[in-house]
Amino acid sequence: MSPTVWFLLIVSQLALVVGQIYLKHAMSRRELGAEKARGWIGILAIGIAAMTVWFLLWLGVMSRVDLSKLMPLEGISPLLIVLGAAAFLHERLNWRGWTGVILTSIGVLLVSMS
Amino acid sequence: MHDSLPVTTPPIPARGLFWNPFVQIFLAVLLTAAAQILLKVGASGSSSDSSAWSLLGVSELGDGWTWLGIIAFVASFGSWLYALRFLPLGLAFSLTNGVHVFVPLGSWYFLHEHISLLRAGGILIIIVGILFLAQSVAKAEEKV
Repeated sequence: MSPTVWFLLIVSQLALVVGQIYLKHAMSRRELGAEKARGWIGILAIGIAAMTVWFLLWLGVMSRVDLSKLMPLEGISPLLIVLGAAAFLHERLNWRGWTGVILTSIGVLLVSMS
Repeated sequence: MHDSLPVTTPPIPARGLFWNPFVQIFLAVLLTAAAQILLKVGASGSSSDSSAWSLLGVSELGDGWTWLGIIAFVASFGSWLYALRFLPLGLAFSLTNGVHVFVPLGSWYFLHEHISLLRAGGILIIIVGILFLAQSVAKAEEKV
């Protein structure tokens, strides 16, 4: 893959993580109800904007690289999301959660390598 | 972003299987898989374009398959937002790895494609991982 494709790929993954964190933040805020929920639609809009950036960059990457080559990298994005959610949303996983996250990522790597 | 974040999520609703957030994630995963294939079909038709716009994949928007893919993506997005109301983000996103189970199993069942030992092992590990993820939610709910 060329440096351009790597650059597009890295920016798209960043946009994905930021977008998902904002989406979850908006949906959690919505649950607060009444006064406290105010502004959740604005947060959702930021999330959707970031996901749109991800989507367009991902389309650009896909038109240049075979899907089978991109799949191993897909196994990494859940790990990035878990770390981002821990840092910015204070999500804490119990040991079962961590075991599940690591096992599914290893599994994706094996499936996409074969 | 840290202010006034709710730590707890609402309990999973009991009103029918369709409204279960895990079922909605399953739906989102299936729709995303369909969308990816449609987008790839659409994108393959226009990869020869080398203008500055093609960096963003905008030239793909002229293709009908791409639009079908976009509709599938929007539908999966609705299911995803619904599931996020009830599940932690990290856990919900890891569950979407289930797509890597269904696509090879689907190609094996419907297209009679061969599944190698390595791939079968990977599928098995993903399924075990998903069971752990589901368990971690169940245990977290017991404590509340």
